[in-house]
Amino acid sequence: MYIKKVAVVGAGTMGADICYTIAMAGIPVVLRDVSRDQLDNARQHIGELFQGRVARNRMSPADAEDRMSFITFSGDLQDLDGVTLAIEAVTEKMSIKEAVFRELDQVLSPLSMIVSNTSALSISHLATVTSRPTRVAGMHFFYPAHMMKLVEVIAGDQTSAETIETVTRLAEEIRKIPVNVKECPGFVVNRILMASMAEVLRFKEEHQLDAASIDQAITQNKIAPMGPFMLADALGLDVALEVANTLNQALGDRFKPSRELEQLVAEGHLGMKTGQGFYSYR
Amino acid sequence: MAQEWEGELLTRFQLATFLEAVRLYDEGIANAEDIDIAMRAGAGLPMGPFAWADETGLDVILEQLQQLTRAGNPNFAPPESLTDKVARGQLGNKSKRGYLRH
Repeated sequence: MYIKKVAVVGAGTMGADICYTIAMAGIPVVLRDVSRDQLDNARQHIGELFQGRVARNRMSPADAEDRMSFITFSGDLQDLDGVTLAIEAVTEKMSIKEAVFRELDQVLSPLSMIVSNTSALSISHLATVTSRPTRVAGMHFFYPAHMMKLVEVIAGDQTSAETIETVTRLAEEIRKIPVNVKECPGFVVNRILMASMAEVLRFKEEHQLDAASIDQAITQNKIAPMGPFMLADALGLDVALEVANTLNQALGDRFKPSRELEQLVAEGHLGMKTGQGFYSYR
Repeated sequence: MAQEWEGELLTRFQLATFLEAVRLYDEGIANAEDIDIAMRAGAGLPMGPFAWADETGLDVILEQLQQLTRAGNPNFAPPESLTDKVARGQLGNKSKRGYLRH
């Protein structure tokens, strides 16, 4: 199926960046949110992304304006008319996502597809709240979505091959690199990152080392672009702990979060966003 | 200026990355090529875990895993697909076959 018009639901940073990426490819896109403020912030954020390209001489002002005109910022369900694929990018809470999926299922034509940008919740479950489980999939972008090339295309239990093909093609069309993944906790990238992070945390405890020495050893040897502790601080230690607990329960002890991570979160040290995590940012 | 613990850290980091990649592959979640692409494009690794393993040599990796397991670290138990490949002489780049085709 050819996707002529996309909706992105949820105008947070992730939703806005995805919306920008789609508009850059010249595909009409509706950015939907129930909050006026969110939509205004998103409009400003996307405007800045376009201006940034113009300032770097990557785009003419006229082109930027043209691409921006592919976006409809809307709180009105009627603007979803003609949408053939909707990308849900709201808060990572199952009850909220379920409500969005139910609403989209009601207003979109039966042939349209609904995908979730979730990094943790079950696609197979979300599919069950709709009348079109074969047309539901995961489309997992990475932060920041306008720069990171990867998109994990996730097949749930009932997702059809045609849906996967369409979502994969759309990812290519918006100049991303899609990889096909069968649903599992953490999908591919986060599952592997969390496994190596857990191992490095164990190493840290065993050897009583500080985070900076370990991060430095890893980046200086060019094994990864960022050390695991810096990465965890950027991600948010509360998020890291939650993902580690989920993976630990689903897949086993190798994901068991270290006592240090649990302690930091208990003390409210959540990384960059609170000014203190494995590192201090004050 | 390398510290004495540095070698062990790098080995354990890379083996943990590789082992999780192998589990995903063995479970049929994604193919080896896609897992490598995902870790390069999504996590910025300079090399995918399978390209790294094939270059290092699957026999060398098997040996390291056996050592860590003997030292009492059960998380490093060698996965079946690895033992199989080594037994069949598919050792990575040097034998033109490993997890990827070369």
